[in-house]
Amino acid sequence: MKLLKKPPLRVLLFSLVAMLAVAVTGTAQTQPQNIEVRIGAILASNQNDEFDARLKGLEKQLRVLKYRSYRLLTDKSENIPRNGNKVFEIPGGRSLMVTPQEFQDNRIALQVRLTDGKKPLLDTTVRIANKGNFILGGPPHEGGVLVLSISATVQ
Amino acid sequence: MELTDRELVQRCQAGEMSAFQELVSRYHQKVYMVIFGLLRNREDALDVAQETFFRAHRKIGGFQGGSSFYTWIYRIAVNLSIDAQRRQKRNPLDFRESMDDLLESQGEAARDPFADLHDKELREKLTSAINDLTPEHKAVIVLRTIEGLSYKDIGEILGCSEGTVMSRLHYARKKLQDKLSAFL
Amino acid sequence: MNGCEDKVASIERWLDGELSGAESESLRVHMVACAGCSEARRRLEKLQSTLTDVLLSEAQPVDFMPFWRAVQLRINEKRPWYQDALDWMRGVLPASRLAWVVPAVIALLLAGVSLESYWRGGRNAFATVESIDAYGRNVALLREYDTKTTVIWLYQDQEGENEAAEETAPSGPAF
Repeated sequence: MKLLKKPPLRVLLFSLVAMLAVAVTGTAQTQPQNIEVRIGAILASNQNDEFDARLKGLEKQLRVLKYRSYRLLTDKSENIPRNGNKVFEIPGGRSLMVTPQEFQDNRIALQVRLTDGKKPLLDTTVRIANKGNFILGGPPHEGGVLVLSISATVQ
Repeated sequence: MELTDRELVQRCQAGEMSAFQELVSRYHQKVYMVIFGLLRNREDALDVAQETFFRAHRKIGGFQGGSSFYTWIYRIAVNLSIDAQRRQKRNPLDFRESMDDLLESQGEAARDPFADLHDKELREKLTSAINDLTPEHKAVIVLRTIEGLSYKDIGEILGCSEGTVMSRLHYARKKLQDKLSAFL
Repeated sequence: MNGCEDKVASIERWLDGELSGAESESLRVHMVACAGCSEARRRLEKLQSTLTDVLLSEAQPVDFMPFWRAVQLRINEKRPWYQDALDWMRGVLPASRLAWVVPAVIALLLAGVSLESYWRGGRNAFATVESIDAYGRNVALLREYDTKTTVIWLYQDQEGENEAAEETAPSGPAF
């Protein structure tokens, strides 16, 4: 302990401890046990001018797509455990498998696979902010197109 | 009638250089001896002592009399001495040589009273042992030995509690005794 | 010392004149009876007297007038501004305090950087597409800055597929 009385060593030791503490708490964030994933399946079309009131929260985002009408088809939410995945049934015989990846800097990486029956349509890994979302759209459905809002929240 | 330190300080604060000169006259030897006790080198001690009074002159406007003038000036002196010790590059061997040179240059009149070989060796060992103390431990030993200051005054000068002063004195004396056990 | 180790500190305080009258008397009586403490007192007194002789005898007297002139010279001398700044800093941040200020500042800076990246991570609402495989289909990525929306649009234009769907559905969004 005599060594600790020498300022230069004390500075070094304290600096190392401080840096380790910050590194551990700041960068190597605790991985969450569960991620809540919410999939909203929306029919976008130009058949009429109706806007589903249930989609009020997504209105600004959906208006980006420039369709005239938006109708909520399904809205499903599931808690996916760490290292797990979940398959969401999507209208039109499609399914969406979501696999949460890592959580860092308050952002969640999601691996998403869209399939039509057994045929894969799209594989993508998207990193979104906690409680954020992204839009995946394009597959035709009932005279319009299917638009999926995919969001994730750390539990 | 001789003015008190407090009165001289008030006159200094009013701009009277003669009052400051009087304070320097009263304390320069004591301050020098404390600094010399810490630095163990005359040139360095003179330099730091002059710097002490220069700093005191600069700061005297802010001196509010919360402590006595002498504890205040000693605080400046000890802090500067501790800084100087940390920068000091001389080792004990250099010191012994320069002290020997000084004593020799001063002639018979300056020869120390301990002509006896045993005591001379004890003094050299003690000097070396003092130099091995940390600046903080050296400070308490010097202030207690040279000035006979109370633990309370030493604590005020060093900015620590009486308990810390006691602890440092005990540690320093133990260290010195351990190194000089054959002589004591 | 035969179990009188704790008495050494008291003996030191007694020699320094820091004990009360009653404590002094009690210790004095003890030292008369205890050989160990009596020896400790002797050694401390010897150390003290040697210290006094060494420290007092080696300090030479200082002539006042040359000393005072040197002090006056310093007072009248104009110092560079950085010297005053350094002196001020040494006063405010002595080495012992600096020893803790430096790592504390490092820790704060690192914490700030971590917090900033955490904050930025949360504030950056744009989704980032790290990989994408559309199995031969055309896919478009859109970022809309006002709403911070990321859109992945899958075109149904793979040859031979979904021709019926293409007839009824719009070809894609008008973004």
